[in-house]
Amino acid sequence: MQLTGSHTLAAPIEKVWQMLMDTDILAKIVPGVSRLEKTGENEFEAISEIKLGPVSGKFSGGLTLSDIVEPSTFTLNVSQNSKIGNADASIKINLLALDAQQTEISFEGEAKLSGLLARTGQRVLSGVANTLTKQFFTNFEEEIAS
Amino acid sequence: MEIKISVNVNGKNYVREVEPRTLLVHFLRDTLRLTGTHIGCDTSSCGACTIHVDGVAVKSCTMLAVQADGSSITTIEGLAQGAELHPLQEGFKECHGLQCGFCTPGMIMTAADLLAKNPNPSEAEIRHGLEGNFCRCTGYHNIVKAVQYAAEKMGTEISA
Amino acid sequence: MSNKYIGKAVKRVEDKRFITGKGKYTDDMILPRQTYAYIIRSPYAHAQVKSIDISQALATEGVVAVFTGDDIAQSGINGVPAGWQVNFKNGDIMKEPPHPLLVGTGSTVKHVGDAVAVVIAESKEIAADAAELVEIDYEVFDAVVNPVEAVKEGAPLVHESAPNNIAFDWEIGNPKAEVDEAIANSHHVTSLEFVNQRMVPNPIEPRSAIGHYESSSDRYTLYTSTQNPHLIRLLMCAFVLGIPEHKVRVVGPDVGGGFGSKIFHYTEEALVTWCSKQIERPVKWTSERSEAFITDAHGRDHVTHAEMGFDKDGNVTALRIKTFANLGAYLSTFAPAVPTYLHGTLLQGLYTTPKIHLDMTCAFTHTNAVDAYRGAGRPEATYLLERLMDLAAHEMGVDPVELRLKNFIPPFDGVNQPGYQTQVALQYDSGNYHEVLRRGVAMLGYEEFRKAQAEAAQSNKLLGVGFSTYIEACGIAPSAVVGALGARAGLYEVGQVRVQPTGKVSVYTGAHSHGQGHETTFAQVVADKLGIPLEDVEIHHGDTETVAFGMGTYGSRSLAVGGSAIVKSLEKIIEKGAKIAAHKLEANEEDLTFADGKYTVNGTDKSVAFGDIALTAYVPHNYPAGLEPGLDFSSFYDPANFTYPYGCHIAVVEVDKETGKVSLKRFIAVDDVGNVINPMIVDGQIHGGLAQGIGQALLEGAIFDENGQLINGSYMDYCMPRADDLPMFELDRTETPCPHNPLGVKGAGEAGCIGSTPAVVNAVLDALWSGGFGHVKDILMPTTPERVWRAMNS
Repeated sequence: MQLTGSHTLAAPIEKVWQMLMDTDILAKIVPGVSRLEKTGENEFEAISEIKLGPVSGKFSGGLTLSDIVEPSTFTLNVSQNSKIGNADASIKINLLALDAQQTEISFEGEAKLSGLLARTGQRVLSGVANTLTKQFFTNFEEEIAS
Repeated sequence: MEIKISVNVNGKNYVREVEPRTLLVHFLRDTLRLTGTHIGCDTSSCGACTIHVDGVAVKSCTMLAVQADGSSITTIEGLAQGAELHPLQEGFKECHGLQCGFCTPGMIMTAADLLAKNPNPSEAEIRHGLEGNFCRCTGYHNIVKAVQYAAEKMGTEISA
Repeated sequence: MSNKYIGKAVKRVEDKRFITGKGKYTDDMILPRQTYAYIIRSPYAHAQVKSIDISQALATEGVVAVFTGDDIAQSGINGVPAGWQVNFKNGDIMKEPPHPLLVGTGSTVKHVGDAVAVVIAESKEIAADAAELVEIDYEVFDAVVNPVEAVKEGAPLVHESAPNNIAFDWEIGNPKAEVDEAIANSHHVTSLEFVNQRMVPNPIEPRSAIGHYESSSDRYTLYTSTQNPHLIRLLMCAFVLGIPEHKVRVVGPDVGGGFGSKIFHYTEEALVTWCSKQIERPVKWTSERSEAFITDAHGRDHVTHAEMGFDKDGNVTALRIKTFANLGAYLSTFAPAVPTYLHGTLLQGLYTTPKIHLDMTCAFTHTNAVDAYRGAGRPEATYLLERLMDLAAHEMGVDPVELRLKNFIPPFDGVNQPGYQTQVALQYDSGNYHEVLRRGVAMLGYEEFRKAQAEAAQSNKLLGVGFSTYIEACGIAPSAVVGALGARAGLYEVGQVRVQPTGKVSVYTGAHSHGQGHETTFAQVVADKLGIPLEDVEIHHGDTETVAFGMGTYGSRSLAVGGSAIVKSLEKIIEKGAKIAAHKLEANEEDLTFADGKYTVNGTDKSVAFGDIALTAYVPHNYPAGLEPGLDFSSFYDPANFTYPYGCHIAVVEVDKETGKVSLKRFIAVDDVGNVINPMIVDGQIHGGLAQGIGQALLEGAIFDENGQLINGSYMDYCMPRADDLPMFELDRTETPCPHNPLGVKGAGEAGCIGSTPAVVNAVLDALWSGGFGHVKDILMPTTPERVWRAMNS
């Protein structure tokens, strides 16, 4: 499943970068995440509960950051396991300062799904992914505003 | 934590304790042992579990048993009046509207709801009305005929 | 003797329990002290099981046991083998890695859904919850899902023991060089590369099995949703678990459809049986639908390149085919036979093609097994031939009906004219192939249709007609023949007729009814042959304890083989009854006639009723000297040949030029299934087969991604025909009796599914051709709006 999107946030690039690197903030703004713990340098453990169309499940697994070039890009590697199947995704995230107060965040990546997750309702999953992305940016904006 | 529910099924009152997560279809099959209601999928797509809740066709896998508290339920076992078959049951037999019989209870319950709403449906309306129920054996040809048979018979009975 | 029931649309006796909700399917049963199994399955298509931690699950309240592949291996169980052996062209034995009941630590899972552990608990909810606590660590490898890719150098290997993922290669027909030459010398060659896509059989009842071991008698009972209980018992006892067969009872109770997918011996059957022994309690497993999608055997899955040569007059000169067949990760029970003996042998079709060669490569892939699905090999052969016929007619500018009529085998009845010897091993029994096509064309109103089509070609809704004529080999099968071809069992059938002292009759058949209506059709035969009321006959099936032996129901064999076994027993009953009657009537046996339920002394009005004979047989006070009491006979019937139903299917479709949507407007089927015992049931079988064949053409197909994930593995995602996808079917039939079985029947279960698919696709193409898209040679099935639209806009 392809994942792409972009959004403009009303904050300077340094602030956006800082927020993305802050575990507590991330746990708050990523939809479904109930716990995010640092387990090593750029390594995290995440627990999330996500409802994906017809299937919902509790996911757990690792999150790692790589190819970090502050403050413009990094790659987020997600490996989440659940009873209903596993999701492995590699997403490249790019930040671009549009001006001193505006930053465009864009991402591009691919998710590999397995198990029940792969065989039930895949055609609705990209819709779900879009919803989650939208929610993420809304949460991000709220966090910036707060 | 179990929850007490009270339901009337096929004219009989039952009070039972159920787990909050128990689906109505499991309650009917496993607790009340009414196994005429079948399970054919896990996505509410096949219609094999269709029953009537307060007179309306419902896929009983889409409903929790606790949601049925206080309601009146009819399953395939309760459709006939004693030894006298419901016109749809008769129609399915007369028109060879069933083969393996697995989808049949759900198909009959859906058709009963269809005829209650539209006593004289066209072929297209019957096909549209049965769209939520899979049959893999009959190609639907004789099921449509069975519903037409029942519609005619029920119409005759009402006007007689 | 007059027939009161045979040939009549007798209403089914089994219906009463089904329409009142009183059918008894496996999952409806709850045995005392029953436990529930939840099978943990690999989410990956190809991965090594590094470690399994069951400790948390085992500690859960309500969990009775958790087993892994290591436990199974310690009992010395290897797994499930195939039931049919096919050899490589060079004579080597096919590669046959067994299918483990559970994949153990250090071993690799071979498809999504391969079983790794089983949790057994007091309830299915507890079992499912505890399964979540089992920690399994996998190392994931690349997978291969397509049979053509699988055999390429460097493709990920499914089994170390099968180089290049080839299970076996195989060929049939005339020498390849002769066929090459005939193709090269042809005036016109029609060539087509196409896919016969993978199908999911999808009986609406998911598979279910209950194993029940009783230590008191050291006996096992397996209740399972199967099409052939005796074969399951034989395979499981002798080849998988090593249990003495007389200690095992297998029951196939009411079964909610099979369509082939419930023929095979599945690992879960052996697993619940084995587990039950370990915990000394009954163990039930019932498949969820999403689980069924990745564990039931699928069907079809061929990639083919076919060429058909013609001379300048339009006579077929040769047929040359290269096919890659996907067998999945393991060889299921009948899998090796399907693309070979049930497919290659049907490539003569109804035509006089003088030279035929099929080169078949059967590949392992990281997908669940592929085996017989309604028609099994014969739909693939028919699709190939009939697509080529309509395409050739289009390319040569001749009428597709005329082209077929020109190339048909001339009529023969198999009695006065000999059977027809094909280039691909079979000898057809009898047929008048021209007649079914002529009738179909008359029902269509061909000339008027072509006029309407020409008018529609100017509009946005194109009309198309597709033709298909087919032949199939049913009544499976002569044991000696299939034995020579690699079957590991005989394919006779058993029929026992027990006349009770009161003259009522109990019949035990090794065939198994899961929708076919045997309880009615077989009773019609028995009632008429004995001249007794239908109500006095009861048919028993599906239980190895009550039925002596049997080979089950598939390959449209039940009436042709199972019915014939019953007829043989009836003949023995009538013959013995005549001895008793002669004694009672003080007449010579030779002077008696048995008709309408009584023995009559020829030329007199002296007679004795069948019921009196039955009573005398069991109360033999005044009885022929030397004759055994009782009236109970069992027979094994081994057919002399396959039977060969055939027919003509015609589809009319409308194609929306703007959207590519195909609507099926009419479907005409003229079939010859030999003599017909119950026309209502035969029509029903045809209807159901048509729906599945049409489903393949328009809607269905399993889709695996490159990682081996089935991405449409639910009823929300896999598109099967619903009531408003289909029209009322227009049926007719001819009846050419089968010359070599006592009922003259040929079999009707698969016919609809075999002929219909190419008719629909041909109709879609015909619509496109009429609308000016003459360049389109093929559209992949299912012919979705997107594919049709793309074909028109390419």
